[in-house]
Amino acid sequence: MNALGIIFSDMRDWSMTELASHRSVAAIPFGGRYRLIDFPLSNMVNSGINKVYLITSSNYRSLMEHVGSGKDWDLSRKNGGILTIPPYSAGENHGLYQGRLDALKRVLDYIKSSKESYVVLSDSDMIYDINYNKVIKYHEEKNSDITAVYIKTDINKSDSIHKILYEFDEDGRADDILVYPVTNGNYNIGLNTWVMNKEFLESLIYDAIARNYKDFSFDVLSARVHSLRIYGYEYSGFFAHIDSLQSYYENSMKLLNMDTLKSIFYSNTGPIYTKTKDSAPTKYCKDAIIKNSLIANGCIIEGTVENSILFRDVKVGKNAVVKNSIIMQHGRISDNANINSIITDTYAFVNKDRVLLGYSNCPFFIKKNSVV
Amino acid sequence: MKLAKKECVVMLLAGGQGSRLGALTTKIAKPSVPFGGKYRIIDFALSNCVNSGLDTIGVLTQYQPLTLNSYIGDGKSWDLDRMYGGIQILPPYQRVADSEWYLGTANSIYQNINFIDQYAPEYVLILSGDHIYKMNYSIMIDFHKEIDADCTISVIDVPIKEASRFGILSSDDSGKIIDFEEKPKKPKSTQASMGIYVFKWSKLKKYLEIDDKTPGSSSDFGKDVIPLMLRANEKMYAYKFNGYWKDVGTIDSLWQANMDLLGENSFELSDDWIIYSRHAEKPPHYVGKDAVINNSIVSEGAVILGAVENSIIFSGVIIGENAVVRDSVIMADVEINKNCVINYSIIDEMVKIGANLKIGRPMGEDSEITVIPRESVINNMGGII
Repeated sequence: MNALGIIFSDMRDWSMTELASHRSVAAIPFGGRYRLIDFPLSNMVNSGINKVYLITSSNYRSLMEHVGSGKDWDLSRKNGGILTIPPYSAGENHGLYQGRLDALKRVLDYIKSSKESYVVLSDSDMIYDINYNKVIKYHEEKNSDITAVYIKTDINKSDSIHKILYEFDEDGRADDILVYPVTNGNYNIGLNTWVMNKEFLESLIYDAIARNYKDFSFDVLSARVHSLRIYGYEYSGFFAHIDSLQSYYENSMKLLNMDTLKSIFYSNTGPIYTKTKDSAPTKYCKDAIIKNSLIANGCIIEGTVENSILFRDVKVGKNAVVKNSIIMQHGRISDNANINSIITDTYAFVNKDRVLLGYSNCPFFIKKNSVV
Repeated sequence: MKLAKKECVVMLLAGGQGSRLGALTTKIAKPSVPFGGKYRIIDFALSNCVNSGLDTIGVLTQYQPLTLNSYIGDGKSWDLDRMYGGIQILPPYQRVADSEWYLGTANSIYQNINFIDQYAPEYVLILSGDHIYKMNYSIMIDFHKEIDADCTISVIDVPIKEASRFGILSSDDSGKIIDFEEKPKKPKSTQASMGIYVFKWSKLKKYLEIDDKTPGSSSDFGKDVIPLMLRANEKMYAYKFNGYWKDVGTIDSLWQANMDLLGENSFELSDDWIIYSRHAEKPPHYVGKDAVINNSIVSEGAVILGAVENSIIFSGVIIGENAVVRDSVIMADVEINKNCVINYSIIDEMVKIGANLKIGRPMGEDSEITVIPRESVINNMGGII
């Protein structure tokens, strides 16, 4: 496909203080064996995009370790492939990227040197399943400058503040764009995914340099909604926006529904790729009890697991009870421990006989490498 | 430019039909038979090589190589996509003077002398692609170097009643082999050859050439080349191996090796000696509200809504509501619909079993393992289509 993919790994880390304290949003583990980056990256690969720039500002070690050479996404290539671009200080540019537009300015050379006609820009905190070819086709049909992917759904005040809302005229052209408003109701929510012609993106960047613009949402989308042809491409299907610990928990638990599971992982677009780990299959011992759960490879389960998600290489000891919880990779729940509504980050260790209780609208979070 | 030579080249024998595995090997070679929830048998030998630091491997194929070829690919799943060395598939090929199939295990190496010579190795390690075990070959090669042997054969103690299934050898106190018999009727010892040989390449080459000129030879390592070297008084030693090792050449032994993964005193897959494999991208397995899983292994992509007991469930298997699977090996992408009862069976890949069916007889003294061949569709009428 004739498109370049650009993925922003960490545009909004500030709203994810727990899960993104030591990693970029893109590297947050999700769904038992994935990280959030796997979803936009797989969408791109499944759409035939084979050149991806991964723009990452800080805390990118675990992300870079995960992506590696890109071979697990078939992106280790002579032509194209994946390139991770952290900030680089030169001339007047210093420090971290100050927003999407600032980042784009500073990778302009790379954008100019690529030969693709289109650019697909995506954040990493949204999970949905799309074929970008359809968006590009629509983009061509409407002869638009920017095509934004959106979903029509209900939102409330607490989650609207992390979203971009679009209003369209009869032709589907945006006539108002609200960035991070406080509102509730049924709205067109942006999926933070945009398609542009590459030449147009370059002209946007030149303009931003001339006017010292740094923020794509405010300075381009919202400010120039009337002068640019911004169209919306409607997506319908499973959609999750991971913008807080609560939304992380709720959206993870949605995976315990077979239909949701199928729509994400067995869609026509293609599989979701991730880093291969070569863990052995999961072993259930004689007294294991397991209900309504999603279990990755490499686990050893001797106790009880209900309504939970276990990542790779988790151990649940004898008579231990894990309910309504998310245990990230290498977690250890020792014998007789009892936990409910808990999220443990990677390598957490819950000692014998511990009892930990959260509540479904306020899951209790245990940091990476903690020993309880 | 001549590249640095390799100290040891591995030749992996993967051309055998494995006819005793019956329906499981009508379409694929024995080394590509699935095992242990996500592996194929060849993964064990390949991973042992990589974990032992051996990165130059020739895989000798002949019988139904399609699945094996595409499975191995460029070897990247085992980290064997190397600039120099790596993994190479070696089927029989045509030459100016003659061309023939691989006649025996030794003949297949003889026909690939050129492949080995290009790396100018000191040693050649010969492996079979049909055993389940974890072994550090570098320790065996060190042993071979230390005693300056011409050939070292890895041996394992087997029960005397099973000894006549194997190549049996006798050695003196220093480990020097004094006698070797392939599948003897009256075994003289319980030391069985594991089909793992380290040779000095110069010696092996010499005896392969002699064997090729010997009329009537079956060109087999166990039957011909090893006895030939022994008669010529070459320095041949036995290397004792004490870990888990299973020849999975029969339906019963394949089933048993799978079951050995369960329980506590068994063969452990989850340790530092990682077995690498190539597998489809599948999400974690989902276990339903009314599911029961007991003493079993379940791989990614499976969906378990019914009951699973003492069984190995491969990736992508679907087990419907109220279905019961007991003492069975269910290979990848099998669909078992609701209310089915599966007992003591091996169900090969991509089989579809309609609702309310019974497959296999409960495990007992006189029951035999039921085998359902690849891609069969079993409908409600009970027949195999």
